[in-house]
Amino acid sequence: MYYVELLVIGLVWGCTYALMALGLTLVYGLLRILHVAQATVFTLGAYIGLLVANRTDSLPLAFVAATLSAGLLGPLIYRLVYEPILDKPPFVALVASIGVLIGMEDGFRLIFGPYGLSFDDNPWFTATWSLGGITLNLVQIWMVAAAVVLLSAFALFAARTRAGVAWRATVSDPVIAQNFGVSVMRVRYLNFFIASALAGIGGVLVGLLNNLVEPAMGSVISYKGLAIIVLGGLGNVPGTLVASLALGVVESFGSVFLDKVLDRDAMAFLFLIVVLMVRPKGLLGGAH
Amino acid sequence: MMVPEAMLEVRDLSVAFGGVRAVTGVSLKVARRELLGLIGPNGAGKTTLLRLLTGVVAPDAGTVHLEDRDVTRMPIHRRAQLGFVLTHQVVRPFRDMTLLENVMIAAARRQTLRPWRALASVETREAREQAMQLLERLGIADGAGKSARSVPLGYLKRMQVARALALEPRLLLLDEPLAGLNYTEATRLADLIAELNAGGLTIVLVEHNLGEVTRIAHRLLVLHNGTVLADGAPREVMARGDVRSAYLGGDVVAHA
Amino acid sequence: MDYYLSVATFAALNVVLALGLNMISGFCGQVSLGHAAFYGLGAYAAALCSVAGMPFVLSVLVGVVVAGAFGVVVGFAALRVRDDFLAIVTMGVGFLFLGVVRKQAWLGAEMGIARIPSPMGKGGYALMAIGAAIALVLLSLHVRRSWMGRAFDAVAQDEDAARTIGVDVAGYKTVAFLLGTASAGLAGAIYAHMTQLIVPDAFNFIQSITILAMVVVGGIGSTLGVVLGAVLLTVMPELFRFINDYKLLVYGALLLLVMRFSPEGFAGLYRRVTGRRLA
Repeated sequence: MYYVELLVIGLVWGCTYALMALGLTLVYGLLRILHVAQATVFTLGAYIGLLVANRTDSLPLAFVAATLSAGLLGPLIYRLVYEPILDKPPFVALVASIGVLIGMEDGFRLIFGPYGLSFDDNPWFTATWSLGGITLNLVQIWMVAAAVVLLSAFALFAARTRAGVAWRATVSDPVIAQNFGVSVMRVRYLNFFIASALAGIGGVLVGLLNNLVEPAMGSVISYKGLAIIVLGGLGNVPGTLVASLALGVVESFGSVFLDKVLDRDAMAFLFLIVVLMVRPKGLLGGAH
Repeated sequence: MMVPEAMLEVRDLSVAFGGVRAVTGVSLKVARRELLGLIGPNGAGKTTLLRLLTGVVAPDAGTVHLEDRDVTRMPIHRRAQLGFVLTHQVVRPFRDMTLLENVMIAAARRQTLRPWRALASVETREAREQAMQLLERLGIADGAGKSARSVPLGYLKRMQVARALALEPRLLLLDEPLAGLNYTEATRLADLIAELNAGGLTIVLVEHNLGEVTRIAHRLLVLHNGTVLADGAPREVMARGDVRSAYLGGDVVAHA
Repeated sequence: MDYYLSVATFAALNVVLALGLNMISGFCGQVSLGHAAFYGLGAYAAALCSVAGMPFVLSVLVGVVVAGAFGVVVGFAALRVRDDFLAIVTMGVGFLFLGVVRKQAWLGAEMGIARIPSPMGKGGYALMAIGAAIALVLLSLHVRRSWMGRAFDAVAQDEDAARTIGVDVAGYKTVAFLLGTASAGLAGAIYAHMTQLIVPDAFNFIQSITILAMVVVGGIGSTLGVVLGAVLLTVMPELFRFINDYKLLVYGALLLLVMRFSPEGFAGLYRRVTGRRLA
């Protein structure tokens, strides 16, 4: 029973990671950029969500605000940071992204204070639900629900809608897509919007989960997100999902069994390094 | 007259990628001082075969012998050090180096052989002279000081050959050296390749440019669907019905 | 006076760290986002030896060797993965190092190692650090001029092409990591004895990024540029004390601006102005 509980908790964490990692893999698939700065939109979503929730007492409104603010910041980062340097070697974008990440983290600290803010009213945190001996709070359930709903929505979007098809075409061959009239620019903005909105939602959920929103909350998840997308195969969406869940479970079990040996956050990287040494292309191999 | 000792011997080489059999049971021999032309329609497996020969791809079955040595699983750089040298289909110069520097780094193969030894070597005169001679031989000495980014394709193709020659190869594999060149350039480079061969260098030449390859090769090997379709003197091979029909629908560049 | 010696020592240590990273990433083109881990390995190994009673010089040597040995191991990892993968793996190495150290009691866990014996005064460490910095500068300049540097360059530009002309790419990458990480280990060993207290957080990702910033601002690949970058980024926060409060903001903005306007750092500016490469 205990193991099942660890498994479930691991899957809940995996869903959190999935919301973050999907955005990373979307950006990588389109532009070959390691968008470490994803942490920024994640944290922004959390802060905005918290502020709106505390101000208006409405969680749905908080989510909408978080989604919009994060979703808009993403494309802005693309426009200001990445677009001017698309023609430069890859490490330039990576270093620039790191610059945004550490700069903005400090920025959040300066604006909102270093100690973090809490939700005045966090009903999901306290409401719990039990099944077969496993107890989850409502935030965790919403986390899974959000991941499932949003990712399914994304899959439908990519498969069925015109914009989704245009996006897929651009990912696989931007030149041909352009020849067919697809606006590559619009696809990029859309891509960043989706990636960032997902992260923003993830941010609010994690904020609710810990009942704390603080400046550095996005960084570690972003770094782990990088490990996840490598594991899943850079640019490989289903792979990323599998890797996210796998990591959540590995951490869950690892934090119990390897507690004396290794810090929890480092487990993601141990997992990554071990897997890569055995399969240099990642768990499922790359999409490119 | 050819000395009948095999420079290169390939036995039963096969490789499949994800279910697609790219090369199946290919066997061939290349005699010393021979100029073998490797041809075949698009997708026949020519590039895969070359990659198997140079070690970029490991075979599922079969062997590759350079003279008497089994090089089937030898790493790429070791094959190059043994004299088994390849030039790429899509030119791969070191873009931030000049043409001279590109050739120099190959010419300095003894100095760069072992990293720690390389640390102790600063003398560049010998490599520089050797590289310059090769550039002159290939007719691109005027581009010596120019960055590889700024010279035309013809120069890069010839620089690649110069770079390969700097390694003092025993066997040279040229992957479509004439691709992208205009008629004059192609003819000139083909003549140069024939000259190098006449000077004693064993060459395997993969080419789409049938006109040039039939002109200079001693022997032609036709690959189709990953297997050897024909192997013999150029005129005979090109006259065969099955060879012609293999090419129908494929890319054929014919110069008179 | 003490204060100036301290700053000079740190500047020199940063030069050593930055030049080491420059050798790996600049000369040989291998991305490394976990350089601070080797700084830490050297520091911890040397500290443990000294605390156990070993003589100073021996402890420093152990620090260098341990860092270099792990560097070779990571170098092997670099052989199996490339570019983007390598960036993340090296980042992971950094986190892994911290993750292990934080949990091990014999490594001091979160509290670190304190009361490390210190046989020299501030002046001694300053001299030692500056000596190491000068040695690294000479080594860097020599490597650049030698065939090793040229081979590194070929590997950095196109490792597949390098292989086909007989360059032992794996060997060169390993040597690059060895040289770079061993020098980080040296810096770590000196640091540990100088400050007499080392904690895990001194070797975290931010530290790796700081070293990277020095290399990038100075001009990746350029020895003198990197020296300038290291000195500048050590001295500026001291000259402009208020920067300390906004340190990460400034670094972040700096990285962003440099990448946007002059990815080749100061060396790039030098080249644009004078038309020549900065050594």
